[in-house]
Amino acid sequence: MKTTLVNFFVNGKEYTLSVGNLFGQLLPNEVLVDTLRNRFGLTGTKIACKDGACGCCTVLIDGEAVPSCEVLTVDCEGKHIVTIEGLAAPDGTLDPVQQAFVDYYAFQCGFCTPGIIMATKALLNKNPRPTREQIQDALSGNFCRCISHYHVLEAVESLVKKGEQPA
Amino acid sequence: MIKSKHDYKYVGKQTVRKDAYGIVQGKTQFFDDFVMPNILIGKVKQCPYPHANILSIDTSKALTLEGVHAVITYKDCDPNWKFGWPPQKSVLGTRMRFVGDAVALVAAETEELAKEAIDLIEVNYEVLEPVFDVLEAQKEGAPQLYDEFPNNIVPGGYEVMQPSGRWWHLKKGDVENGFAECAIIEEDTIGFDKKPGTLSPEPPGLIIQWEGGTDYHVWGTTQGIMVLQLVNATVIPGVHIEATAFNVGGSYGNKTTLTNITIYGMLLAKATNRPIKMNETKVEQMVMHETRLGSTVQAKIGMDKEGVVRSVKALWSVDAGHFCNAIQGQVSVGLGEAQLIMCKCPNWDLDTRIITTNKLTAGTVRGYGGQELNSCLSLLMARAMRKGNFDPVDSFRKNYCQAGDKYFWRDGREWTARSVDYNDAILATAEKFRWKDRWKGWGIPSWVSEDGKKVRGVGCSVIGNSDAGESFAEAYVRIIPDMFKDEARVMVHINVTEIGNGQKSNLLKMVAEILNVPLEAVQTIPPDSRTSPRNEGLAGSRGTLTCGRAVSNAALDLRRQLFEAAEYKLRYPQEQMEMFNFGVRAKSKPELWVPVTKLVPDHHLTMTGYGRHDEDFGTPNFFMSFIEAEVDLETGMTKVIDMLGGTDVGQIIDPGSLEMQCQGGIGAASLDTALFEENFVDPVIGRPLTYDMIQYKWRPFNELPNFDTCILESQFDTNYFRAIGVGEISGAAAASACMMAISNAIGTEIKDYPATPDVILKALGKI
Ligand code: FES
Ligand code: FES
Repeated sequence: MKTTLVNFFVNGKEYTLSVGNLFGQLLPNEVLVDTLRNRFGLTGTKIACKDGACGCCTVLIDGEAVPSCEVLTVDCEGKHIVTIEGLAAPDGTLDPVQQAFVDYYAFQCGFCTPGIIMATKALLNKNPRPTREQIQDALSGNFCRCISHYHVLEAVESLVKKGEQPA
Repeated sequence: MIKSKHDYKYVGKQTVRKDAYGIVQGKTQFFDDFVMPNILIGKVKQCPYPHANILSIDTSKALTLEGVHAVITYKDCDPNWKFGWPPQKSVLGTRMRFVGDAVALVAAETEELAKEAIDLIEVNYEVLEPVFDVLEAQKEGAPQLYDEFPNNIVPGGYEVMQPSGRWWHLKKGDVENGFAECAIIEEDTIGFDKKPGTLSPEPPGLIIQWEGGTDYHVWGTTQGIMVLQLVNATVIPGVHIEATAFNVGGSYGNKTTLTNITIYGMLLAKATNRPIKMNETKVEQMVMHETRLGSTVQAKIGMDKEGVVRSVKALWSVDAGHFCNAIQGQVSVGLGEAQLIMCKCPNWDLDTRIITTNKLTAGTVRGYGGQELNSCLSLLMARAMRKGNFDPVDSFRKNYCQAGDKYFWRDGREWTARSVDYNDAILATAEKFRWKDRWKGWGIPSWVSEDGKKVRGVGCSVIGNSDAGESFAEAYVRIIPDMFKDEARVMVHINVTEIGNGQKSNLLKMVAEILNVPLEAVQTIPPDSRTSPRNEGLAGSRGTLTCGRAVSNAALDLRRQLFEAAEYKLRYPQEQMEMFNFGVRAKSKPELWVPVTKLVPDHHLTMTGYGRHDEDFGTPNFFMSFIEAEVDLETGMTKVIDMLGGTDVGQIIDPGSLEMQCQGGIGAASLDTALFEENFVDPVIGRPLTYDMIQYKWRPFNELPNFDTCILESQFDTNYFRAIGVGEISGAAAASACMMAISNAIGTEIKDYPATPDVILKALGKI
């Protein structure tokens, strides 16, 4: 029997999964958020709606902010995926976006926060000098019911002011 | 950012929350990140009809599926196991009372298998006529949900919350005489009845394990472990539940009892002798979990010529949905809150009725009854102000509770307010909003666009709650000396869950302050009923006053013990000692210092202080919302463009958490219940149409109003830090303030929540 493999990178590490319905294989209908959480233990990516509506599961796929509940893992062949766990340096130094979220207290319950940080990361990678409207638009797919929005905007704008050039 | 004007080392200062680094790195553990070996997935087969009887049910096909370990129906359940207060709804019965009601429970190896098994369960239903409206439900001949509740009326009051006797009807003075003395009387029926959802991002979930006999352990998303234990232990008499919680991904009061899934999980766990995970999907959360109370208020309010309410007669019909899970508590708090905003009123006849309907059940939600009742009463109060041409700021100020005023609270007892006075807060907040410039009078817009198509109006409203001192709270504070250095750690044992308000960290600031140790040296343990003493959790603004008092008293008790031990070592009077550098020193002779390591028994054992708060409803909190709304007269669309929240908190504990709690009043079914939030139920088939996050409307990042706060710190006589919490109520007056703003913008009073474009265009006579 021919085995189909899918090969991709998560936080710089290469993974190869075999696709099929046997125990332990990657199911053809498995979505990326489940693969990340259940197979790789990367539970920083959160599940809320599993419907593409809330942004809690946002990760970077080849630099784009994408809701990982809407992506089939089998479609990730060759892709570079970054999750919230992949932002800090190996020595524990936080990514500037993470540090700004700490400094500006940009969360309450924090369930939406990894998704918002990843969406921010994608925005600043493409546009290091966004206006407030551009920030708001870029984050408009991220649900936050605690209303941490105001502090998030301050945090992101602090990075813009500092002229941080995220890697 | 808000600033405190009082000088403590940590209290009042912005400090990094203990879990901040975990949260921004995705390391903080929420329920679904917790794994346990050998679990099975529990799922509910839901009824597709709002009202039906199960005529027959066949589970045989489902049971033949490999990997399915249990299928449970009413046939496997003692009919005396009942949800609700009073016990009313069989845990699994033959009568189905809402779309989503539990027909059967399944435990399987995977979620897919559980779903497959659910589809294989064959059910024949007798479909019954449903009732969705509280006024209809009370009429003779209306469909009956429970035989024991004629006209669908649930008995009022709740012994657990009212130890001196059940209480649900506020009667005071003589309303008819009161009305006779009033200059203005307004009467109407007002509904706040769309039962919006609180929509926490993290859905409710738990793992439950049967530990043998009648013992169970729950690991779940509960906001209040003790409340979960209390409510669920009454459903199946004799069971004993211990519970562990995690950081909670938003609750807003709404993920507390976790009633249904706890009991369902319990049945499956015992049947399979395996841990059961009941983790709702977002759609399940939206169609099976809890909503806000529905409120319909038939009210008459009388005001004197000074704008002070002198008489209130009302009947508050509360839509409980398909069962009443101790809603009596919310109702009695609602009665209390109504008195706070009309505290000079000597004449009351405010009756309440809790009504069951074939809708989603109502549950505990931020605002806890008061928001729902006052969103209705405030509109009528505003109408009376309008008739008398009173400035609403003046009128709210004259009516709000001050020290010395009396009110009945949730326990059915009369309380006298002490220490608090919010006059200055009202005036300062109004000034910061520039009310005097922006308010042009009733029904007059504050701004009109050049083309006349857009208008703006301003509005305000107030709210308050005495639950900030509700119930007891206990804490231990334990000092743990370092084994090698003259240093120590402090461990705070208090059974609270971090739900987003930062209070868990703020309690540690209080302890660090009293023991004068670095904040980094103070830690707390995860919420668990086995390792911490009891309290009801960080709900209802309780954190600051009740938990704050418990940990402060525990830290003071520990400090006293350390001073006592130091007295012998330093030969110095205790009253003249202070904590310093992980030790105790003489205030006037700093060289006289002894480290904690030499004060604890045997140099490395620990020392523990105990602290408690006793229930006290005598210091109500307060919040005032100002809003400017812009209405497009052609489309009827409303946009809130400016918002200001004001209060007096006695003492700021943490500026960041406080500010965010104020901003949080926009979310969780608060402000937007005046604009677009509602649960739509198809009136014919009774199915919810707003069943997911695409259908249900919520406020995204690019639609935020300007938001500001005005916070006073009057140093109330409440607890050690002279503070009071306000988080719960920060949005509770926003909806009625918004309705006032819209009414002033368009020149016509509106009263239908939410004020969607069709409501506004109707009011304008355009449709
Ligand atoms: S969980 Fe993926 S968008 Fe909501
Ligand atoms: S911080 Fe709780 S949902 Fe955003």
